[in-house]
Amino acid sequence: MTGDRGPVFRLRSAVLCVSLFMDFKLTEEEKLISRTAAQFVEKELLPLEGAFLKQKEPFLPPGDPPLRDLDPELRKNLVQKAKRIGLWALELPEEVGGSGLSAVARTLIHREFGRTVVPFQSPSIPAMVANCRYAKRIADGESSLSLAFAEAHKTGTLSEIQTRYRSATEGYCLESSGLDVLSPSSDLFLLPAREEMSGEIGLFLLERNAPGLSIQDEVDLTTDETVGRLVLRECKAPSYQLLGHEEEIKQIIAAEQLRLAARSLGIGMRCLAASLEHAQNRVTFGRPLASRQAIQWMVADLSISLRTCTWLTLEAAWRADQGLPYFDAAALAKKRAAKMAFEAADAAIQIHGGYGVCKEMPFEGFYREARLMRLLYGQEVEIDRAIGEAISKEAVSRQREERGS
Amino acid sequence: MDFRLLPEEELLRKEVERFVQDELIPLESLFDEAPDIFEGSRWKSRARLSRDPEVRRYIEIMEGLEKKAEACGLWYLDVPKEYGGRQVSNVAMIAVTEELEKTSVPFELGNHVSNILYACKGAQREKFLLPSIRGEKTSGFALTEPASGSDPSMLQTAATPDGDSFILNGTKVFPTFADVADFVQLFACLPGTKGREGVTCFLVETGTPGYRVVRSIATIAGTEPCELVFEDCRIPMDQVLGEVGKGWELNQAWLGARRFQVGIRCHGMARRVLRLVGELLSGDRREGEKFSAPLGNFLGELEALRALTYFGAWKADQGWDVRPEAASVKLFATELLHKIVDFALEVAGPSALRKRHAIARAFRHARSRRIVEGPSEVQRHIIQRALFREGTAFLELM
Repeated sequence: MTGDRGPVFRLRSAVLCVSLFMDFKLTEEEKLISRTAAQFVEKELLPLEGAFLKQKEPFLPPGDPPLRDLDPELRKNLVQKAKRIGLWALELPEEVGGSGLSAVARTLIHREFGRTVVPFQSPSIPAMVANCRYAKRIADGESSLSLAFAEAHKTGTLSEIQTRYRSATEGYCLESSGLDVLSPSSDLFLLPAREEMSGEIGLFLLERNAPGLSIQDEVDLTTDETVGRLVLRECKAPSYQLLGHEEEIKQIIAAEQLRLAARSLGIGMRCLAASLEHAQNRVTFGRPLASRQAIQWMVADLSISLRTCTWLTLEAAWRADQGLPYFDAAALAKKRAAKMAFEAADAAIQIHGGYGVCKEMPFEGFYREARLMRLLYGQEVEIDRAIGEAISKEAVSRQREERGS
Repeated sequence: MDFRLLPEEELLRKEVERFVQDELIPLESLFDEAPDIFEGSRWKSRARLSRDPEVRRYIEIMEGLEKKAEACGLWYLDVPKEYGGRQVSNVAMIAVTEELEKTSVPFELGNHVSNILYACKGAQREKFLLPSIRGEKTSGFALTEPASGSDPSMLQTAATPDGDSFILNGTKVFPTFADVADFVQLFACLPGTKGREGVTCFLVETGTPGYRVVRSIATIAGTEPCELVFEDCRIPMDQVLGEVGKGWELNQAWLGARRFQVGIRCHGMARRVLRLVGELLSGDRREGEKFSAPLGNFLGELEALRALTYFGAWKADQGWDVRPEAASVKLFATELLHKIVDFALEVAGPSALRKRHAIARAFRHARSRRIVEGPSEVQRHIIQRALFREGTAFLELM
């Protein structure tokens, strides 16, 4: 592995240049990583977008249009290319075939992937997977991994975990009446479960063909994805399949929140740029759309939203890299950014008019995707409530202090 | 990328934090009862003329605080080094204001000088700039007219050249404190010019023949801006600030730098209001459940405002064009503060509309914020103009 594997690998190991003041500029390393991802998206993905969007059968049967996907051969090819330049398995260390990147670098990369609707991005492979026997296979793309975190989607925390586990001979036994899981055809599933007696939470990696594990009711989602129900009945897992505990699971949730936030930033940038361009070219009643205040205000408000989300996301990622508390910041970034992406897609559709809702244009795809992102890893209102309750609690303890003193 | 302050800036922030903790927070309950004249920074000018013993008492407290702050070296922070100041960055000034805003005591670390006064040349420095820095003179900012605001082409106050002076004629409204100021920065246009081209800034001393303050106008925010009339008011050439015909640029510079301070001030006031909301909710479970989500939402929005403000200030420190950032901060901050105060009233109920209640004060203050120094609509206009001119380039990471 001594060959030149591209700038991401080269710079990853470089000594971190620590600047000592507030600096919103990207470091040279960060710039390079961001540019590498941008070039990959521009050269490899965007040229595919037109064909991807138009793929359809000449005469559609009544009902839903079929799911759009990339040609498997094409996907394989892209995985190879992405791996070569370090845009694959971003969190896994290099020893097991990942890119071992910081949270800021991952944010920059996912932000670039977000600029296209072509369904290709570096998969979510949490760092703790590195220590298990499947690590190499997952990193190489031979085994696919899916996060079965359905029970974390409501609150973005561990409070709703219903999946149970208990110790059994040579390992554990898991029980779940059903978890919605995206990409149900995956080879491996990563999921949190609660110990029956102690309530302690563990992170399990299960094989698809594990005894007692079944996938039911596979159906298409409104986004170009499928969802299935993962059911565990007396599912046996050897002890090496317990990969972590509460802290690790919280890290995964935060990392996923940051990934969704970063992707949302890419969607926002694309939608805004396309809207500006279209508004300048499209003439109505003798004047370009860009001269209309209704349009001007939409893009002005969107640009502020995009900017605030950019810095909230990058600051949360930076905090993660510095070892500072970042879970709340990641949740907030996800909440605001996914909402922003949804509103950006909504505005882009409105500005493009009839073209906006056409499947030949990317905006309706972004619109559907962003709506799903808003529902993952914490409902908006739950994230709000957690922050709101924290300040009320703070007020209670302050009052107590004052009364005490 | 790094979100920390420079070590010396962090030190300054800590000094201010300590000052707020030791000197200001203990005075909070006293200032809750302060007369209306202590809202905002009004005490600095009009209150000082008051003979009311209650007002005098507060003035003495404020002046004591000023002396303490000056003794701690927390004075002249943003004044350039050549004028004896500490010349700290925009980012550091944001951090300073963020700390000061943690208390409701309306104390500022001065002296803030209208930044365009640094364009003073020669004798103007001794006459206008230095006394302003020392706090001996105050000034008003006279741009708005009865029929013109943000649009320079509507400006009607005329400056007619006559030998080595100008004759000023016109009416100005809304310069705050002009009635107690020692001079005003007056914007007028030269005859036969259009738009921003002929706009020129004059320094006009109170008492100049032909210049009078006609009245002061009460506003919802408690400020009392004035109406000024200029009738054949003769101003010598050497009282032109900057260059003849370059006044609009000065106006832009004045607004630009202030915007980020507006951002962090709105942030601070909104946080204090939400703190009160948190206290109200902490004692009542049902209310807590009802309102904790919107409360959390607004706290999150405030984090967004904070990030936007620091970024804009940082960009200004780099010497880059920050007009769209400044407009974004002004728009986002003032609209958010307004929404938060509205929400706080919804939680607190009618009793919070008592005149001296902190939320009621914020309510009166927040409404005018969306108008003064450029209304929200003008800010949106500035942002969209940048977007359609430059595309998303200014939103890209650097």
